[in-house]
Amino acid sequence: MFLSVGVRFEANVEALNMVETAGNYSKHRRVPYLVEEDGRLKTVYVPALSGESLAHAYQEHLVREALGLGLPVCDDCRRDEFYKSMNKVHLKKKVNPIPDDPRDIEIAIVRSCVVEDVGGFLYAEKPPVRRSSAFQVSYALPVKSVALFATSEPQLHARHAQMDSSSKKGNASEQMIYYVETGTALYGFTFNLDLDAIGVSAITSEPILDEDEIKTRREAALRALFRMLSSAQFGAKLSRFFPVGGITEVAVAVTEHPFVVTSPIYDDYIARTERRLKVLEGLGENYLFAVATGEKVPEEALKEAMDYLREQGAF
Amino acid sequence: MSEYEGIVKMLRFFVQMKNFGYVDRIGNALNPEPVEVTLHEALRAFRSVRESAPVDESGRRYVEKDGKKIPVPGIPTEEEIKAFLDDVRSDIGVAKRVATLALAYPSKNESGGDE
Repeated sequence: MFLSVGVRFEANVEALNMVETAGNYSKHRRVPYLVEEDGRLKTVYVPALSGESLAHAYQEHLVREALGLGLPVCDDCRRDEFYKSMNKVHLKKKVNPIPDDPRDIEIAIVRSCVVEDVGGFLYAEKPPVRRSSAFQVSYALPVKSVALFATSEPQLHARHAQMDSSSKKGNASEQMIYYVETGTALYGFTFNLDLDAIGVSAITSEPILDEDEIKTRREAALRALFRMLSSAQFGAKLSRFFPVGGITEVAVAVTEHPFVVTSPIYDDYIARTERRLKVLEGLGENYLFAVATGEKVPEEALKEAMDYLREQGAF
Repeated sequence: MSEYEGIVKMLRFFVQMKNFGYVDRIGNALNPEPVEVTLHEALRAFRSVRESAPVDESGRRYVEKDGKKIPVPGIPTEEEIKAFLDDVRSDIGVAKRVATLALAYPSKNESGGDE
């Protein structure tokens, strides 16, 4: 089974994905974007959130959900440090001595960590072993039709230090001003989850775990997505720049084989996804398409998808 | 390309600092907008670095990186930036040439600063 979610969320004055700093100025991630204006295409720079940032948040939720269901999570991932068995030092914590056969290495990693099972890994030693992530996530980008209204603007802040004249040394300042570039936009991103890849070897395509554990891991993966979207716990600087707004729309497609919803950066993404699914249905594929646009809240659409997957025996 | 020496020196400074972001974005730009945005960001960062850089006994600004003193060149002039951006608007290849020069070794030892 394959799950694909299109998410639209409004975020005002957010600092969800900051990049480098230049002196006292910390910049928001920005990307070039092609928009149409007066019938002509032009490039504009818009605030964005990287897929890496969203993926990190998802895996943090996955850690918590997996532990809650009594599933194994390795020590590195428990600390939300996703080294993913990148070298001998990290792999030895899971299996020691390290096997010579790549298949045995994959089995050892998948058995001992749900995050590396679902999120993939790259063991970059000899022999190298790679496992693709079972989930995929796009950058979050402003919705096309309103991209020109997106802004990234620096906000001035000050930090104060209490000091009297005797403790003041040199030119130490009693206050320091700094700027945080905040983004404001209606964002859209896509999240896909290949449930068939969980607990299954990327090398042999054979199950590594027993069916019950695979099902529980699938449930953890779905719960993590639910929690991430429902709690809006993704991105950086939430402590002082928690975005003002929230999820405005969600479209969830569950199919038997890989199918990705039309990107929510397009205004007609729901209608187009529905049409595309109808064609699939004509080819004999069952699906569920749940949408939360106005009356329905996002959690209802996500739950509908989870109920459908449970009925289908996915978990 | 000597007319854009100030920009080349600034980009070369970032290369020496192992910050290849600006030179890559300018060198790989397919249209003028990314060059304009990147140059703006590079100048913003460069001003911050330059203004907080210490001055050595000969009056030149420098920053230390991996135990080495890297001289901080002067800020490119307004005229140079304007001419460069105008040139890039008519020929995007100019941006690639400037970025390429910034990646090359300078033909003579560059001294830091404009003091």
